[in-house]
Amino acid sequence: MNALRRGVKNAFRNAMRSVGVVLILGVAIALSISMLVARDAVTNKINAVRSTTGTTVTVSPAGFFGFSGGGTPLSETAVNKLLSLPNVTSVQESLSQDLTSNQTSLKTPTPTGFLGRHFGQGASFGLGGSRQSGGFTIPVRVIGTNTPGTAVTGGANGGGTEKLVAGSAFSSTSTADVAVIGQTMATKNNLVVGSTFTAWQHTVTVVGIYSSGSTFADSEVLMPLATVQKLASAANQLTGATITVNNIGNVTSVSTAVAKALGSNASVTNTVQSVQSELSPLNSVKTISTYTLVGAILGAAIILLLSMLMIVRERRREIGVLKAIGATNRSIVSQFAAESTTFTLLGSVVGLIFGVIIANPITSALVNATSSSSTTGFVRPGFGGGGFGGGGNGFPPGGNHPFGGGFGFHAHAFGSALSDLHASAGWSSLVLAFLAALLIAIVGSAVAASTITRISPAEVLRSE
Amino acid sequence: MLKVEKLNKSFRTPAGDVHAVKDVSFSTNSGQVVAIIGASGSGKSTLLSLVGLLDTPDSGSIDVNGAALASLSAAGRTAYRAKQVGFVFQSFNLVPNLTALENVMLALEFAQWPSAERETRAREMLSMVGLDEGKADRRPAKLSGGEQQRVAIARAFAAKPELILADEPTGALDRATGQKIVALLRDAAQSQGATVLVVTHDEKVAAQADRRLEIEDGVLTEIA
Repeated sequence: MNALRRGVKNAFRNAMRSVGVVLILGVAIALSISMLVARDAVTNKINAVRSTTGTTVTVSPAGFFGFSGGGTPLSETAVNKLLSLPNVTSVQESLSQDLTSNQTSLKTPTPTGFLGRHFGQGASFGLGGSRQSGGFTIPVRVIGTNTPGTAVTGGANGGGTEKLVAGSAFSSTSTADVAVIGQTMATKNNLVVGSTFTAWQHTVTVVGIYSSGSTFADSEVLMPLATVQKLASAANQLTGATITVNNIGNVTSVSTAVAKALGSNASVTNTVQSVQSELSPLNSVKTISTYTLVGAILGAAIILLLSMLMIVRERRREIGVLKAIGATNRSIVSQFAAESTTFTLLGSVVGLIFGVIIANPITSALVNATSSSSTTGFVRPGFGGGGFGGGGNGFPPGGNHPFGGGFGFHAHAFGSALSDLHASAGWSSLVLAFLAALLIAIVGSAVAASTITRISPAEVLRSE
Repeated sequence: MLKVEKLNKSFRTPAGDVHAVKDVSFSTNSGQVVAIIGASGSGKSTLLSLVGLLDTPDSGSIDVNGAALASLSAAGRTAYRAKQVGFVFQSFNLVPNLTALENVMLALEFAQWPSAERETRAREMLSMVGLDEGKADRRPAKLSGGEQQRVAIARAFAAKPELILADEPTGALDRATGQKIVALLRDAAQSQGATVLVVTHDEKVAAQADRRLEIEDGVLTEIA
């Protein structure tokens, strides 16, 4: 029987103590494993969200507040210059206008609803709606864009699912009085490709119809940017721009450069910033799990260290006898290291079983606890789905409305980042757990070993 | 043959320096049983520690069959103890969770005997000390005091050492068993050709030895 076998046998020498040490170690290791798994799950989720994050910088007039207006329009000349900034690949420009029933023949398909009537009572709200004898009506939103191709595939409207279902898009430099309208708008006004409607007392021809599957996104009208600027007497004016950056690593620097170029009149946001704020609860969970992981490993190491010290102290005489009859320090240390490793391995098995079982509930609990405190200041009631003067059904999503579509998208991404989180023990976690267990065993044995080497065999005779 | 010359050892204690072993010199022959008699605190255990290389002397020399031991390194002393020194303690000091057989095999493992020969040799030694086969697989707690001391003697002689050091080997045994143990030590010393140094304060045990030495206040004298 060599030292290692003796060590393993010694681990079962005192059954009560062995069970106690293994259970305590098991709990600490279970906590370590669950933290490791939680950390992995959160890291994977953060990476997944980051990998799907767009590389865009969104610009809107400072103080611009969707239907409510506000702010000074952006200068098209200034925005055009952004294309010369390093790492900028394209600039999408848009000008949003809300047309009252006096300005267009189009009728909005969006019902006013109770809230719309309620908010429409006060003219001071400045919602841009029109007050008829029956009350308030929702304005028709017209978006002038220089990227109609992108607009109908998710650019200007931001929804990402718009597709042409009839006709074609106008060109990016078009100045014609043409429009691509949403399917809901077309149905409400009995319009088909080739039909006309009036806007700003001009006749506009429908050249295409798009569908996004969203009633509200399909209630808008897309027209050439130059046309809207001309008809709305808004030459050189923009209400939004979306700048595409060559890669995600340059988004922050481009965002800073854009803010500097446009000055205080522009509000500049980027996808990375938004995602970072959305991911902050996950980052908190990651930090908590990292600290807890380190704490649990240290705790396990201390438990084992103290147990081994107690055992060495208890067997001091036996160690002296072994030394007296010719055992080397190395042999005795190996024996105690084997004993310590046996405790750790048994604790790891117990810890692994419990760790895998509790990993998911702990991860969920951590995420829920962190996200519930973080979402309070993030989700603004009435913007994402409540309908700001809009019939109680929600604000249409739109890339030019940082407090409308932007919020809706981000809130969704935020929600899904947390709800889709699933903790599972991967091989990397198990290997790390094994290495942690090994570290615990080494730490547990090391101090005991140092005590062992100091025991003099002469003590045995002196104590006889 | 064991030859000790001018051995000295002092300890520093809160009460002052204690000169535990003073210029001790003696020699013994192989197969001889030598008893060292002394009262408690006379220095006999310290002398045994020095001769057994458990402790290092302040001065003096220890030679066994011509090999100088006092100047060995720590590793050298451990290796020498494993192969050439056997210990028998008053309270047996067997490893409690190992069987009698495994306890004897332990000494053979430390002496680096070939693995294949250890069990055979251990059983042979247990048989030599009169422990029947059925008790070889028992743990110390299942053996009587006399049986445990027999296992300890088997362990001490297992690796065929040149020197056996017995510290009060009968101290925890009744008189009859004690006499049997001393007789066993004597027989084993002769059959194995080892020198046995027995430290005791029991005159009757000492009377069974080939030679008797007395130690008092660290000074060793031969008793005629």
